[in-house]
Amino acid sequence: MATLIDKPLEVCKDHYLLKIDIGISLSHPGQFANIKIGKNDPLLRRPFSIFDHKENIIEIIFKVVGKGTEILKNICKAGYLDVIAPLGQGFSITENKNTLLIGGGVGNAPLYYLAKQLKAKNNIVNYLYAARSKDYIFFEDKYRLISNTFYLATDDGSGGRKGTACDISGELAGGSGYDIVYTCGPAIMMAGIVRIFQNPDTRIEVSLENYFGCGIGLCSGCAVETNAGIKRACVDGPAFDGRVIDWGSLLQ
Amino acid sequence: MNTSVKIGSLILKNPVTVASGTAGYGEELSAFVNLAELGAVFTKGLSLEPREGNKGPRIIETSSGVLNSIGLQNVGLKAFLKEKLPFLLSKNAVVIPNIAGHSIDENIELCKILSETEGISALELNVSCPNVEQGGMAFGRDIRTFSKLLRKARKATKGILIVKLSPNVDDVAAFAKAAEDFGADAVSAINTVLGMKIDVKSRKPYFLRKSAGLSGPAIKPIAVRIVYEIFERVNIPIIGLGGISCFEDMLEFIMAGASAVSIGTMNLVNPSVASDCIAKLEEYMVKEKINDINELVGIAHR
Repeated sequence: MATLIDKPLEVCKDHYLLKIDIGISLSHPGQFANIKIGKNDPLLRRPFSIFDHKENIIEIIFKVVGKGTEILKNICKAGYLDVIAPLGQGFSITENKNTLLIGGGVGNAPLYYLAKQLKAKNNIVNYLYAARSKDYIFFEDKYRLISNTFYLATDDGSGGRKGTACDISGELAGGSGYDIVYTCGPAIMMAGIVRIFQNPDTRIEVSLENYFGCGIGLCSGCAVETNAGIKRACVDGPAFDGRVIDWGSLLQ
Repeated sequence: MNTSVKIGSLILKNPVTVASGTAGYGEELSAFVNLAELGAVFTKGLSLEPREGNKGPRIIETSSGVLNSIGLQNVGLKAFLKEKLPFLLSKNAVVIPNIAGHSIDENIELCKILSETEGISALELNVSCPNVEQGGMAFGRDIRTFSKLLRKARKATKGILIVKLSPNVDDVAAFAKAAEDFGADAVSAINTVLGMKIDVKSRKPYFLRKSAGLSGPAIKPIAVRIVYEIFERVNIPIIGLGGISCFEDMLEFIMAGASAVSIGTMNLVNPSVASDCIAKLEEYMVKEKINDINELVGIAHR
């Protein structure tokens, strides 16, 4: 039984923060919460990655993109919320490594929780925060504080440097010596990141956000083609080794 | 108080089952539901060899429903027998595999092997999947092909044979009658309703196979009507399904003539809904002073 602690808080344009008591104190960065909104319409749950987790309270940042998130944003009071969490396989947590985290838009959300845990395990956290424009950046200070090096980029140059996540990654990839790159954002961006970091010694982990039916492995609706056959993004992921994904099939 | 119902000679402890394609092989669902408490588990449509399912988008929500084009992705017979069935039996589930071969021969082979396998309570023959090129609904829309398959499947099946019907025909009850005539023990009605989505950005059908199967609460009135019509034409039990989201929905199906029901799409949304229905059934029977659930089957016709 989950409880929404407070009504949704706007954190930047079209993005909202939810604090939910899920009665569970343990989750893994990259895992998600599956939230039921309304009775039969919208019908399916909506999956959201975990932005932070303290004691029994998870925090979620979502972007308003359609009917479900529109209703969610307009919840006007705290109280019962139908949530199944945590679900899915999260990112791997390394120790004593040089890491680079690359988030695009709302895809930055799970990477904050990841950065916190990487920091606690003595990793160097380099963070590239990419967004469409200055208006779409949430909690810049939190990301800055948690990172050893912080890069900010916007498509239109209104915040940080002008350029996309892939533009900046192209520069960072040269001679950087990252042990592991973690990325979450639009599929086209993550496909680009996987292409850019070609050194096989650099591990790449991605978090997929394709359309989920159930989020618990029942329907096989979120099937992803990989070099090890069809995988379900919801239970085999959402975090995957970026090099096993057949990006062509995802981008169709 | 009796909540048990009969499907041929098979006794289900209660009428609440979970539908093929929405329960996998029970593994994931077992985190939310005690499989032993269910009337039965209908497992994912099975073929002799593993199937990867369809390419491209496979599922999308519609108003109060879901369109899917999964394409019978399954582990194949060998892995089913070796890995999936033992798991289900270890949880004391009543297992009813759904048979979804491409060809008549493949279906017959599956009927033969599975009906002789210990631990399998009944078979459900899928003649109604709209999402594959060969087999599936092709068997369920033409009465002659349907009859031909049925005759052979009946002969090949040692135990209880259930036929899952397509709603995408003029007269579903005529197919139910044919199933009864050829010796089927029960029918399941309905499979998904053919639908389509156009992606307005690309100006093309959203699914690569163009049409897809619609399920969920959106189709419930269609399913209830079909169960009602079948009940008037056959004497074999009906397993009613199509958009059941709560106990009241399940009662509608029973009153329309279903001896048992399956929860389908709603497992994806609320995986404990089958458990909730079982709990509510008992409460309801106490409150309404109903001694035997079978008293309610088809009561809307009386």
